[in-house]
Amino acid sequence: MRFEDIEIGDELPAEQPDVRVERVREFAKTAGMLTGRFVDHQKAREQGLPGAILPGIMSQALLAAVIHRWAPGCAIQQIDTVFRAPILVDSHPTTRGVVTSTDAGAQTVDVDLTIENEAGETRVIGTAVVRLD
Amino acid sequence: MDVEAIKKNWLNREFDVAEFPITQERILAYVHACGETDPRFSDPEHPEFQAPPTFTAQYVGRRILPRDFPMLGFRGFDAGKTVVLHGPARPGDTLFAHSKIADAYEKTGRSGRMVFLVHRMEFVNQKDERVSTVDWRMVRQPDQEPEKREK
Amino acid sequence: MILDLHTHSIKSDDGRARVETYCGWIRKRELQIEGFVLTEHRQFDDESDYRPLEHEFGLRILKGSEVETDYGHVLVFGVNDRMRAAFDFADIDLPLGLVLEEAKRCGGVAVPCHPGRPRVGMCAHFAERGAVDGVRVIETRNGGSRNGEDAAALALAEKFGYRGIGGSDAHLVSQIGRCATRFEGAIRNEDDLVRAIRSGKFEAIRWT
Repeated sequence: MRFEDIEIGDELPAEQPDVRVERVREFAKTAGMLTGRFVDHQKAREQGLPGAILPGIMSQALLAAVIHRWAPGCAIQQIDTVFRAPILVDSHPTTRGVVTSTDAGAQTVDVDLTIENEAGETRVIGTAVVRLD
Repeated sequence: MDVEAIKKNWLNREFDVAEFPITQERILAYVHACGETDPRFSDPEHPEFQAPPTFTAQYVGRRILPRDFPMLGFRGFDAGKTVVLHGPARPGDTLFAHSKIADAYEKTGRSGRMVFLVHRMEFVNQKDERVSTVDWRMVRQPDQEPEKREK
Repeated sequence: MILDLHTHSIKSDDGRARVETYCGWIRKRELQIEGFVLTEHRQFDDESDYRPLEHEFGLRILKGSEVETDYGHVLVFGVNDRMRAAFDFADIDLPLGLVLEEAKRCGGVAVPCHPGRPRVGMCAHFAERGAVDGVRVIETRNGGSRNGEDAAALALAEKFGYRGIGGSDAHLVSQIGRCATRFEGAIRNEDDLVRAIRSGKFEAIRWT
């Protein structure tokens, strides 16, 4: 993917990331977040949550990975995520992205990012500035 | 809740410096867990092998708030993260994270009343080269149950 | 004329859209809206001058605010110095009655937004504490609404005879224009907008 190939409105392929509890436990362990609310549905419910929830930074990391698959070799210069509502572990969320602007001088594109739950509700929003050569 | 007093007394004062050695093992574990497939981050043999861009967002300093910072409530959640990349972090590097509170504000949302604290960590490497800036928007809720948390 | 009456730019704490990028997106995607109103959270942006962008893109760009009251969030249009002196836009505990009354007195209009939303919408507060006098218009189409929230707003409007506006509540560029408001005539500035809202001659639209 080269900068010249990209136009405003181009969509990144939607993905269904793996948020099964085994994978989230792996992430939480490496990120030092191995607490019940992220990896144990029962313990999360005891804390008043509907179930174990995805760590926010894992959402962000999933979105960064989506960008890299869309544009191999690109450089993410900035990525910003707003965790508007929790994503449940063992659910089936969908990541989406769309190019909203391009800067020929800087060879960068701005991308809007979202993660939706099964009901189509947007749970995470974000943006990224991505450089392509 | 006197957010103005927090802004006046606590903003932009460095309160912590923490050290984080970067290892290949930790990069690979992180990359695998988040499904990252770009060989720059997943293949140690790649000539540009380095930590993925959100890698430093996982780090927490020795303290998350300054000593004697006002108690804003026991409940809270992570409302968002912004990572600005300045340079790569590679295995063998040691990162130093300088922490401060960059902003504070109050608002209401689906969860009710929320106090937002923007916790900023500036990461530099052992050569004092900038690596990343991570803004963590922490929410404190004095009077809300965690299951209600939504913005 | 069709305007998106509820948008946020990077001036809002959780807004992630630059105004120029909104404009480029509207034109590139050939959206049907002919302009939008920036309703930044808890503030009025009196610094930015968007007239060059209006000319460049042929769009109407107006400014209002979204303030926070004891009955939820409220859009205010026709903001001026008198209104800004009348109540503190940054206060998250404003009495709804005060905002409605002062907005009107100062030549503007206040419109409770996303009324079906938990905690920050008017419906839940009406149910608990009763109705507030002075509401004439509410936001019945909000682009950020979840299941049932707009339906609750429409039911409230029907019950009390409120008129309904639409706005995307966009925080990202790609969210603008999901909902909007169609007016009978042209809206050239904030005063026209206030007059049009007060006239009740408009309809809320949702595209997605």
